[in-house]
Amino acid sequence: MMINRPARPRALISLVPMIDVMLILLVFFMVTSTYLNLDMIPAVKPSEGTAGSPQTPAGTLMIRLGADGVPVLRGTALDRETLRTTLSAAMAEEPLTQVVILPSGAAQTQALITVMDTAALAGVTRLRVLRLEAAP
Amino acid sequence: MKLNRPARNPHSETIIALIDVVFFLLVFFMLIGRMDATAPFDVRPATAVTGRDMPAGGITLAISATGDLALDGKEITRGALSPALSALLENDPELRLRINAHRAAELRNVLPLVAQGEALGFRNVVLVVTPETDG
Repeated sequence: MMINRPARPRALISLVPMIDVMLILLVFFMVTSTYLNLDMIPAVKPSEGTAGSPQTPAGTLMIRLGADGVPVLRGTALDRETLRTTLSAAMAEEPLTQVVILPSGAAQTQALITVMDTAALAGVTRLRVLRLEAAP
Repeated sequence: MKLNRPARNPHSETIIALIDVVFFLLVFFMLIGRMDATAPFDVRPATAVTGRDMPAGGITLAISATGDLALDGKEITRGALSPALSALLENDPELRLRINAHRAAELRNVLPLVAQGEALGFRNVVLVVTPETDG
C-alpha cells in the first residue's frame, strides 16, 4: 500500500540575512580601506649595495638643498624648470653623469622628492642622496 | 463601491534590486580600496611625477610632520624601531620597507630612518609618494 504524504509547502529562503551580511561586509570595506593612490620611489637601489660598479661616472653634479627647499647647483639657486633644463643638458653631454643631492636636515620631504623627481625627468640614472651626520 | 485589489507580493522585487545595489557597492569598494594599516596621525605623502606603482606587501613606516613614527599602523618610538624591524626582517629577508613620510616632515627625521633600514639589511626601501599630473 502506498501512502501519499501531503506535499509540504516549498520553504522560501529568506533573503534578509544575506542582505545583512552584505551590508556588514560593505560597511567593513568602506571603513577599513584607504583610497589614496600611492606610488613609490626607490630610496635604496639594489645595485648600490654591491661593491664596484660596471661603469664609472664621468662627472658629478652636486645639488644642495637648502632649508627653504630651494635647490642650489654650482652656487646658483634654481627653480624646478631651470634645474630640469640644466640637468637635461648635462645628461645630453655626458649620460653617465652622477647627480648627488646634499639636503639640509631642515628641508621638507616634498622638496627632496621634487628634486629627485626633476632629476629623473631629466634622464638622470645615477642619483644619490647624501646625509651629513653630526660628529660624536 | 469598494474595489478589492489583489494582494501584491510585498517585497520580492524590491529586495532583489537592493541586493543588486549593495553587491555592486561591495565589489566597487573591494576593488578600489587598499587594506593597508593606517597611521594614527595625519600622513600626506609628497607628490611626484615619476613614481612607480607600488605593489602590495611589505611593511609601512609612517612619519608624521612632527617626526612621530608608526610601524604598520601602531605608534612606535625610535628606540624600539630597530628591534622591531630586525625581527620582521628575520622572518622575511626580502621584505620591502615603505617609508611613508608626511610631505612636510623634515629630512632630519626621514633620512636617518632610510639609512637605518639599509643598515639593518633591508634591500628594498622605497619612499611612498602620490602621483602628480605632469604639468
